[in-house]
Amino acid sequence: MLDRLRSMIDGVRADFVDIRYEIKTETLVDFVGKEIKSVGSNRTDGYVVRVGRKGGFSSATVTREEDVPRAIELACEGADTIVATGGKRTELAEVSVVQEVVGLQLDGDPRRMDIDGKIRLTRKYNDLMLEQPSIETTSLSYREIGREKSYVNSEGTSVSEELVTTNIAGEVVAKRDDLVQNVRVAIGGADGFNRLLDRDDVFIERALIAGRLLDARPVKGGTYDVVLNPSLAGVFTHEAFGHFSEADIIEDNPSLRAKMALGERLGSEAVTIVADSTIPGQIGYYRYDDEGVAVRPVTLMDRGVLTGRLHSRSTAKGFGEPVSGHAVAEDMRFEPIVRMGTIYIKPAGNSLEDLLGMLGDGLYLLDGKGGQTSGENFTFGAQYGFLVRDGKIGPMVRDINIMGNLFSTLQSIDAVGDEMELSERGGCGKGQMNIKSALGGPSVLIRKMVVGGA
Amino acid sequence: MTDIPEMRKLLELAARVSDQAEVFHSRDDAGSLSMRNGKVTEMSATIQSGYALRMIRDGMIGTAYTKNLLYPGEMVDNALASMKGKVQAGFSFPGPADIPEPSGEEGSLSSMGFHDLHSRSIRVLDHLSGKVKDGQVDVAAGRGVAETRIMNTSGLDVRSRRPAMYIFASLLFPNTETGVRKLYHSSTAGDFPLQDLDGLVDIYRAGLPEVDIPSGRMKVMFTPDTMYTLLWRLSAAASGRSFHNRISPLQDKRGRKVLSKKFTLYGDPTDPEEVNRRFFDDEGVPTGEHTVFKDGVFRNLVLNLDYADKLGEEPSGTGYRGGMWGGETISMQPSPSLNCSRIAPGDSSMKDMIAGMDRGVMILGVLGAHSGNILNGDFSVGLNPGYYVEGGEIRGRVKDGMVAGNVYQVLKNISAVEDRLHETPNGGRYPAIVLDDVSVAAK
Repeated sequence: MLDRLRSMIDGVRADFVDIRYEIKTETLVDFVGKEIKSVGSNRTDGYVVRVGRKGGFSSATVTREEDVPRAIELACEGADTIVATGGKRTELAEVSVVQEVVGLQLDGDPRRMDIDGKIRLTRKYNDLMLEQPSIETTSLSYREIGREKSYVNSEGTSVSEELVTTNIAGEVVAKRDDLVQNVRVAIGGADGFNRLLDRDDVFIERALIAGRLLDARPVKGGTYDVVLNPSLAGVFTHEAFGHFSEADIIEDNPSLRAKMALGERLGSEAVTIVADSTIPGQIGYYRYDDEGVAVRPVTLMDRGVLTGRLHSRSTAKGFGEPVSGHAVAEDMRFEPIVRMGTIYIKPAGNSLEDLLGMLGDGLYLLDGKGGQTSGENFTFGAQYGFLVRDGKIGPMVRDINIMGNLFSTLQSIDAVGDEMELSERGGCGKGQMNIKSALGGPSVLIRKMVVGGA
Repeated sequence: MTDIPEMRKLLELAARVSDQAEVFHSRDDAGSLSMRNGKVTEMSATIQSGYALRMIRDGMIGTAYTKNLLYPGEMVDNALASMKGKVQAGFSFPGPADIPEPSGEEGSLSSMGFHDLHSRSIRVLDHLSGKVKDGQVDVAAGRGVAETRIMNTSGLDVRSRRPAMYIFASLLFPNTETGVRKLYHSSTAGDFPLQDLDGLVDIYRAGLPEVDIPSGRMKVMFTPDTMYTLLWRLSAAASGRSFHNRISPLQDKRGRKVLSKKFTLYGDPTDPEEVNRRFFDDEGVPTGEHTVFKDGVFRNLVLNLDYADKLGEEPSGTGYRGGMWGGETISMQPSPSLNCSRIAPGDSSMKDMIAGMDRGVMILGVLGAHSGNILNGDFSVGLNPGYYVEGGEIRGRVKDGMVAGNVYQVLKNISAVEDRLHETPNGGRYPAIVLDDVSVAAK
């Protein structure tokens, strides 16, 4: 395939051209309550072309091989239009030429297992949740996504890499009269099928939490000191800081670029943040990004001071900073954009009891329920929480969403816990869905967060 | 429309091994550009197509999809293999319907190039530049043609071709990425109306001062672009899926008044004003006006073929392949979805609505609409931005504020509904609505 791709871009009159071909496979088993709603294994494919010409840079994506010449034509037209209209000049950071075929090491290759076993396993976990008190229904899916990526550019790089992500995830719904409460559940990873086995306890626990939420009270809106558990701290790190460490977010906003200069102090001494997609086994793992650049760990913030940023080749050149291998696309329908991959706050020396003691009065919030970033503002939801009085955990509360501003919130992190957990399922929708957006970390104590509530 | 021979061949193959079969095809040909801080930063194009197959045999359904239809036999095999899941299907694919053919009247949209898009965007930029002191003007624009075709063994063969273009203007407040935005959307080649851009500038200027506000309960205005916060929750509850699984807060409330009489919600993909006008849904069922709430009374569920059958109802032309997070259309099964939704207009002008707010928040953008317990109707969203109104006048934009509540509570207390509808980036057309006594949290 690599040779075929090279022949497609040979002869293109451009300073730079690359092409990526992907085959995406997806196996799905989808339960709603007791009922199977969908089962299937399918395959799709397509091409992404990018052209750099005289400082203009443009891309085109197509499904059919016979449309690749048209894609090249459209990308050339886009690049030329940018130059002709005085648009942004794009150059790429220099990188080593790479020629590598990256294989997969899986603990149980799901692609070699039949669909019956996947249905049986999903049904077992689904039934376990449905058996718990007050549970009205579930929505639970087995999803296995494979990406076979082949990448070639005009500089001589050619890389192919296979990635397979598996998870069993969904939600469990408890109901009493008109009150409905739901809790998310997810197990999975990028290192094989076997990590999905023997996980009964996870599904039972999530169903029990959903049942308990029927007796929880909505949190009262206001400003609180909070302790976030590792799962929620991961969402916070991703939303509150991670997106602003993606260079493409700020590259064309001069005032924010100045505020985010390396060396600026943005956080408290307690905060060190790392992006590391090279940790084996975790869901965000990959070797090469979708520009054929090897990913490397980046310390984004060191004891509160900005020390690094996540880049594509073009943003690295634009900022004059080293490439990091973070240009990632959802699949063959998209050109790559800067994505953070695996991000976490580095653990420190405080136990959960220490953190709750330091909290005194406030909220102990657990597990992420989605988040969103727009510029420097962010929100994220907690699946449940507890009122804390004098360091002691009290009654359960629900309906918790938090809002903050990057430039004030990171300064308000008072202390960091000693444990380290990474998520088993990704999912970030910055224009494209990134199923490999791993996150996590230790528990953290943050002062004065705005919490929406009844 | 393209690819007819391939579709027919696939349908014929599927018909040989099933009782009923359906082939769905979609194609998108689009181009877009972004201008940030006065310069073009991105131009890109896409030509995507794909096929989805559904087969019913002995009351069970099998499904498959692909993008390049190189091996139709493999696709049929995949659909047969998926029947291992023993997914029940009691419904039948619809037969032929009298559905209007695409008009083909699309002006120059299908041939619109990057230069044309650029010149229309520059016009917007030139008009706004100089009016936004210390802030930033961003413009995004795009054009495209989306096609859908569905054939089935009941004799249905329908197609839709939907040309469209958009220009999206954003004014960012100084030193932030927070701003106010306005969409121009058209099914023919056109230019952003300058009076709409002037209106955007007025809104921007009103939000320049940042203000601290106290937490408490007050009036809250959801502007049209933020209405999806409330509608996601109502749509989830009115979905046939929630009714079938008996988890809808609207269960057993059909025909009962559950919201303010000022609230009427319906969908109408055939509305002549609709840019993505459709006369059939993604299952080939004819579309039309479908009322969910009328004067506060819960009237109808939102159904696809499957849930209509399970609940013993008539199909409502509201089965679409899609989800909250986009995704590849062909890979998703049709599910209940109220497309092209509208909230009926009221009788208040925007000016009067603001003047009538003694103390409150006007929400122009939200963060976190997808978080929280959607099915239960709970919402808790960040203001991004939200303006503080006192004594009937906008005082400035709120620093770090959130609005929270339950949709079934807050929509009982509607004090005003705007007298006109606005097209929104999420696809619906809505008026602004002012709600009484909503919880606002601020730092």
